[in-house]
Amino acid sequence: MSDFLNAYSIQTWLESCPQGYLEDTEYGHAPGQKEPELILENPTLRQESIQSTVQLVVGERAALAASSGLINSAPDYPSKRFLATQTLDEARHVEIFTQRLYDLGVKKDELEDVISQYANPHLVKFAEVLLEKVDKGDFLAGVVGQNIVLEGMAFSVFEMMQASNVELNPKFAKTLSGTIADERRHVGFGENRIGSLLQEHPEKKPEIEQMQKDMTYHMLATFADSFRGNAPAMEETRKIAQEAIPDQKHQVWHGTDLGSADPAELENVLADTVLKEFKTRLGRIGLEYQEPAKP
Amino acid sequence: MTDPLLDPAEFDPNQAAAPETSKAEQDAPRRRYQLKDDTGFDEVPKKYRRFYRRWKGPGDSLAPNEVICPVCKVVIRSARDLRPGDRVYCMPCFSRLTVIRGESGRLEARVEY
Repeated sequence: MSDFLNAYSIQTWLESCPQGYLEDTEYGHAPGQKEPELILENPTLRQESIQSTVQLVVGERAALAASSGLINSAPDYPSKRFLATQTLDEARHVEIFTQRLYDLGVKKDELEDVISQYANPHLVKFAEVLLEKVDKGDFLAGVVGQNIVLEGMAFSVFEMMQASNVELNPKFAKTLSGTIADERRHVGFGENRIGSLLQEHPEKKPEIEQMQKDMTYHMLATFADSFRGNAPAMEETRKIAQEAIPDQKHQVWHGTDLGSADPAELENVLADTVLKEFKTRLGRIGLEYQEPAKP
Repeated sequence: MTDPLLDPAEFDPNQAAAPETSKAEQDAPRRRYQLKDDTGFDEVPKKYRRFYRRWKGPGDSLAPNEVICPVCKVVIRSARDLRPGDRVYCMPCFSRLTVIRGESGRLEARVEY
């Protein structure tokens, strides 16, 4: 076995994560940091924040189920160890985003109802496609689905949300920066471990590519619902935020001004960024990106 | 490649001479760089943090001892200038990389599986 697998150690994770960027944090942000009054007091902003945070909880619950489910099918102990650390990362993400729902005023006994009410059906399907592979004990497909497709999507979504929130909501931006750091390890594991395993099992490629196509369709449909399908609420949210903080500095993400772009432009820049990354990452490990139907 | 978890005094994300580099390039002396202890990068154990920094976006540029990890987009910093064929290690995402000269003429990194 290659020496590089030895880097997947609990000790490295401890020194990088809890003793690194998470040191002195509380639910991923600095102790005492609060959601801005503007969000808590304005029903439209609060509702929009709850709705988007629910999608994060749904995605992270899928990631938790997938990473923990893959441990038993991993072919070697370094991979099992890494997936154990990833399982804790994903459980933390579920916890911090759930905590954000509580911070936004969701009551504990309402949590599951709120999640059911707002969870995007396509995001739920996206998770089901992945978990079907995990439940079958298909390590290769499971890791591509989890660590390249799901984590690749999360990496860009978190980056975009982090850039959008730096000025408006430093607490949430800080929470997201910790999850972005976690995603670096997860996508790295996906590429590096699967890149070498796929060379040994080229017969698995068509099945994995079909899974990627199905997951990508549901991801793009989720984006379409969240941006174009939610355009009036997004525009209203932005208007309220701009009136409250008129001198807010606009953040530019992948060439798009996040403060002035309309919902369709935001959807395009996010989808283009994620798909470009998919194509590059899949190409590097020897898979060909499969274009799904347009939702 | 040297085990990246060695004593940091022996660690450099840039390892080994470049087999693909021309003889003239190989023979030319390499400039050494004093790496600042704190780049603000806190995603690896403390003793290795000076070897990495975050990419700051369009206004940022790479020094001759730096290359971007194509997997996680972190900037890898070496204690000497980099050349095509050099092998580097990205600890934040565990990627083993080889430095190549890209089409634009800029140094880039290729992932090795």
